[in-house]
Amino acid sequence: MGIDAKNIDLSVDFGKFKLQNPVMTASGTFGYCDEFDAFLNVKNLGAIVTKGVTLEERPGNEGRRIFECEAGMINRIGLENVGIEKFISKKLPKLKEKGINFVLNIAGSSIEDYVKLGEISQVNNIGAIETNVSCPNVKSGCLEFGTDEKCLYELISRIREVYNGFLIVKLTPNVTEIEKLAVAAQKAGADCISAINTLKGLGVELNFNGAKVSKSFVQGGLSGKCVKPVALSMVKRIKEAVSLPIIGLGGISCLKDLLEFVAVGADAVQIGTENFTNPDIAERLTVELAEFIEKQGFKSFNNLKEELRK
Amino acid sequence: MKKNLKGKVLNIECVAKDTVKLQFSTPLREICAGQFVSILIPNKTLRRPFSVADFAVRGSEANAHCEGSVEESEPAIIQEADFAVRGSEGGVITVLFKLKGDGTSYLKSLKIGDNIDYLAPLGNCFTLPEIGKRALLIGAGIGIAPMLYLKKVLTGKGVENLLISGFKDEEEVVKGSDRTVIGGSVMDNIQNVIDEFKPDIIYSCGPKIVLELVCKLAERNGLAAEIAMEKVMACGIGVCRGCVIKLRDEASGGRTVKNASVCADGPVFSGSEVIWE
Repeated sequence: MGIDAKNIDLSVDFGKFKLQNPVMTASGTFGYCDEFDAFLNVKNLGAIVTKGVTLEERPGNEGRRIFECEAGMINRIGLENVGIEKFISKKLPKLKEKGINFVLNIAGSSIEDYVKLGEISQVNNIGAIETNVSCPNVKSGCLEFGTDEKCLYELISRIREVYNGFLIVKLTPNVTEIEKLAVAAQKAGADCISAINTLKGLGVELNFNGAKVSKSFVQGGLSGKCVKPVALSMVKRIKEAVSLPIIGLGGISCLKDLLEFVAVGADAVQIGTENFTNPDIAERLTVELAEFIEKQGFKSFNNLKEELRK
Repeated sequence: MKKNLKGKVLNIECVAKDTVKLQFSTPLREICAGQFVSILIPNKTLRRPFSVADFAVRGSEANAHCEGSVEESEPAIIQEADFAVRGSEGGVITVLFKLKGDGTSYLKSLKIGDNIDYLAPLGNCFTLPEIGKRALLIGAGIGIAPMLYLKKVLTGKGVENLLISGFKDEEEVVKGSDRTVIGGSVMDNIQNVIDEFKPDIIYSCGPKIVLELVCKLAERNGLAAEIAMEKVMACGIGVCRGCVIKLRDEASGGRTVKNASVCADGPVFSGSEVIWE
């Protein structure tokens, strides 16, 4: 108590993209804009990452979309989103008006989709985009872009040709050697890597009515506290493979988690599933981080990061 | 405006077989019938949504619905409870739930004075009819919860209403209805009820199968219907798109389909717009 941590420098400088603090919110968990203003002040966050936006509006998947499991959840939303046109006309003006630092998350089913989204982002002066590469590439028999290094290299190179802003590549953990994908993204001209996207998971629900059995399966992306050890391992391996800055995410729910990610190589973090559990968590972490730095006697977030990496 | 709020348990009791009534304090002075709260469960990723089964404000200027106000009332239980919350501004939220899993077991284990962390008020409201109209309320099983609060609000507004509820057996009956159907379905004899009561609107909450029947019943009788739906939710505020259902898009004359989130666009929907999958 009595600590004034307000003057602690938490800023993160990625060159083309700057954050007032390292706490961001993950795509798909925070809406497009100021939806969480009911629970916190969105302006106080490092940045928000928008829900994944595609070229056309998408209705998302049919059937059950959410399954809660031990220490996490599985989702198969299917990229329901308003499409880039509505994002530009309805959400972007609000983000600008409110002064919210943001990253546009983009997704597509062909390289051409991503290139168009990159062009639109360029034209509209969007300062940072995060590429979701966990989408099936329709042309290559629906293998995900992010699981094949050549495919990922081509995708990111092509986006790089049309987009000069801060280009983040969000890697999928559903690969054998994440290092190779990280290297491919770096060679293709990415500015930053965020990791990890969700893990493939299956929720199974069995119901018994006497000897009658009914069951339902929810196959989708696993997130939440249970994925943290996987995410930490991936971030560490990526850090050892590339020189790009890294945004770490996967199961972060408290300050201790945040520090662990920084210790293994993250320069900033994203809060995802925990936003559903505790909707004010992101802002709370910015305050707790500043207080921790002050209390421990570090000089700034950068200084804390250096010490954690020694 | 929805908020993340803290309250204290004022009362918790078993009101029927595997059915618990939980009452907790709130700084809110207004929640309308149809809205819900989403309660944090320790060590669980997802909060648990519950319809408001009753709401009362302590003090003056009570307003239980955006349109109709109800009488100022203080549930008996608060007069007995002696907490820091007593005397503070705000009200009492009542929820009813069936014991189903870890989340509800945890809630059942709460004691008077324990903390509750919840998001509220979430979702939309039932549309209240004008005075002079007659409202039929149908609650199936634990679906009676929002019907009880709606009944109170309608009665307070002077709207004639009839609440009929159905339960599997005698032990599961939650009190508060005008008529109770035990065993069978609440829908079994419903046409006779309509012919006799002559409602202008039907409200309902319960399992999907009952709600679908209610919508068809309303359509057959040329009546308006509003139903409160339930679905597994993650965020509770419409951002994650986890709890969407399909609606006829009225803007296109009902020719196209649009998504609606149960948590933010609902949970109350007009019976004629829902597409049953």
